Amino acid sequence: MANSDAPTVSEPFPIFELANRYLLYDVNTITYIRAKYNIPGVLIGGLPQAPQQNVFSGIPLELMPEEARLLCEKGVAYVVDDARAHKQGFLDRGLSVEERKRFAESLRKQGQAAASKVKEKAEDKKQTALRQIASGGDWNDLPEDMLKPPSRPTSRAANKKKAGRPPLETGGLDEDESLFASPMNSFPKPAPTSGSRVNPPAPSRGLEPHTVTPTTSYPPLTAAPPPLQSSLSTSRHYSLGVDNSAASARLPEAPSSYPLYKDLHEKGYFILPGIRFGCKYMAYPGDTLRFHSHFLCNSKEWDEEFDMLDLVAGGRLATSVKKGWLMGGMERPSKGGAGLNKPKVRSFTIEWGGM
Amino acid sequence: MADLDEDALLTSAPTADEIDLSEETQDFRFLSAFGTNEVKIPKRGEKDFEQHGTNLQSDTLAASRQAMHNALSFQRVHQPKGYTMATYHPESNMAYSYNPKGPLFARMGQVLSALEDPLGNDERRGQRLWLLPEELIYLLERGTIDVRWPVSEDDEDDRALPMSVQAAYAMCIGGTLTLERHIVYSSLKRAGYIVLRSADFNGSGPSPGTECYPPLPDRTWRGLHHGRDGCLLQPALYRSYADIYSRLALVQFHDPTTQRPQPSNLPVTIPTDLHQPLSSISVTYNIWKPGTTMFKKSSPGTPDFRIAVVNARETKVPSLQQLSSLMEAVPYEPPKQDAQLYQKLKHGYKNVILAIVDQGVVSYLRLADAAFGRERLYGSKSPRPGFKHGGSRKRGQKRR
Repeated sequence: MANSDAPTVSEPFPIFELANRYLLYDVNTITYIRAKYNIPGVLIGGLPQAPQQNVFSGIPLELMPEEARLLCEKGVAYVVDDARAHKQGFLDRGLSVEERKRFAESLRKQGQAAASKVKEKAEDKKQTALRQIASGGDWNDLPEDMLKPPSRPTSRAANKKKAGRPPLETGGLDEDESLFASPMNSFPKPAPTSGSRVNPPAPSRGLEPHTVTPTTSYPPLTAAPPPLQSSLSTSRHYSLGVDNSAASARLPEAPSSYPLYKDLHEKGYFILPGIRFGCKYMAYPGDTLRFHSHFLCNSKEWDEEFDMLDLVAGGRLATSVKKGWLMGGMERPSKGGAGLNKPKVRSFTIEWGGM
Repeated sequence: MADLDEDALLTSAPTADEIDLSEETQDFRFLSAFGTNEVKIPKRGEKDFEQHGTNLQSDTLAASRQAMHNALSFQRVHQPKGYTMATYHPESNMAYSYNPKGPLFARMGQVLSALEDPLGNDERRGQRLWLLPEELIYLLERGTIDVRWPVSEDDEDDRALPMSVQAAYAMCIGGTLTLERHIVYSSLKRAGYIVLRSADFNGSGPSPGTECYPPLPDRTWRGLHHGRDGCLLQPALYRSYADIYSRLALVQFHDPTTQRPQPSNLPVTIPTDLHQPLSSISVTYNIWKPGTTMFKKSSPGTPDFRIAVVNARETKVPSLQQLSSLMEAVPYEPPKQDAQLYQKLKHGYKNVILAIVDQGVVSYLRLADAAFGRERLYGSKSPRPGFKHGGSRKRGQKRR
């Protein structure tokens, strides 16, 4: 998994909408839009491999409405009403028996792969431990706690049956788990206590698959781009499982600062929401993973009046964190030649002089 | 003086304690520092100022992206040991699990009473733990539980399909659980706090009770000092400055210890509400500190903090009216009288934490009903406790 430098995603790809928030769940799409479209988004989920921390976050990725709109305007993405798609697919039996079966089967395969991976690891550990002993030779050198099974008191009973084994498997529990895996979708039954002597390592084919929680729902759900706006008839049906009405050709509604966002983005900046510094956006000169931000951006209407004090406060704040305070907005379209030249976005940076 | 301030602003580098790593996009290459055994937090990755077109830079970036991609591709696999299954219940938008094992469930989920349980009062009701939507998402995302869709006839041998992370979000976000509320919930849970819904979660809860108001005071001493003839200080024998100062304290101040419910004001406030329809801010979650050992789900006790979740893009700076009604609903909790001056001001007589969410980024802000007028600076024996540390911080409010 995840070995290619830049995963490619077929366009247009779906953006999932939940009550006017725009989310992405597919890791390939997340990496792809970051590399190709300079769109970082904000990861809002937790990482299951490091669950008790907030420094690194995980899937899903929340997109600002501006980001979602930009992608839709480029024609590389479309919006899917995700709650609706799920209700139709899973609750209203939109998925056919065939699709369900296929999905369950693929999950079973993934679970099987996971189980055999766990087993391999355990086997590996055992081998290295054995090698160590063979080379070291002295059993008395083993640390005391290595002889104890690394488990909580609750699993005492389960450990008893391992008494016959060489007591050096620190990773032995994993193997144990895969051998006595309970069938999918049932409560873990206590492992059979009768013939529980040293089990010969079962071939991975015979492993009970582990259960897997998938990250995305696509598949089994399928998303297809909405029909072009000219043919907005609801009568159009696809033979696919999900009724296509979950996808829509509507553009996400972006706030009035969208022109500034778009302009900065076109100039190659990565944009993140600006709450940390009390502004609308933060503009980064490159990927936010690698660079510090340069500008704290605020959007204004062309003739909008604002306090001189805002300017001083913003300028001082930005300068003290080594950034520029940027203010921008769309020029008012000229009265005469409407449509001749598109209104431009102009922006200004302010730096505290500190004379 | 002004110059000193500016220098301090520009030169003082934050100390290690002050750096909040979650404030910035982190380099995922440092994630590996989170080993299973090590609880070490990675050092802040060095970032560059701008692109300089070197291979080194682009390689580092590619490595960071790859590390992020790998970290995000983690597959949630449930080992048979400690496997916990829950079933989603679409009608109530909750999930239930029978006798789930694990320390997390001591502080999450609830067994519902016979009347409340959506599945009715069958014999397994006592073992059935119901998970709220935010608990469902959090646990599923954490890889702790395997949530299943309800079984349908299409499924072979009673095995329902598992819910994906995406499905959990799609089904559970909406209604009163906004995405912002969930983001705050899960980030607090990840930080180790115990988080429960407040009574106001589904709109306005019960109107503020007596616990929201200070006990009736003994206010005999007030107003006795002021002479009526316009002379502040009668010529007399004063033995201490405190006597004089207390007579000079004429300015009215907001005193949280004397706030009373004012039913007579109700007709006045309602028209202004109609005139200016403001979404009210209310307490969303009650929070207990991570180390609370005595916590019991059945009787959680007084929370350590109360959090109101606010969407940065949809909310203006709260008006005094909104703040007052928010404060009104919070129980009265005077600071310890022997605490330090700035501690007392920061804690206030009531306080709420606002969690402001801007497109997935959260900022916490503490609002306290502080009583400056009650902290007398004259006559205190110690030379202004906490004075040295107090200068750089805004009184009564603290940004995290």
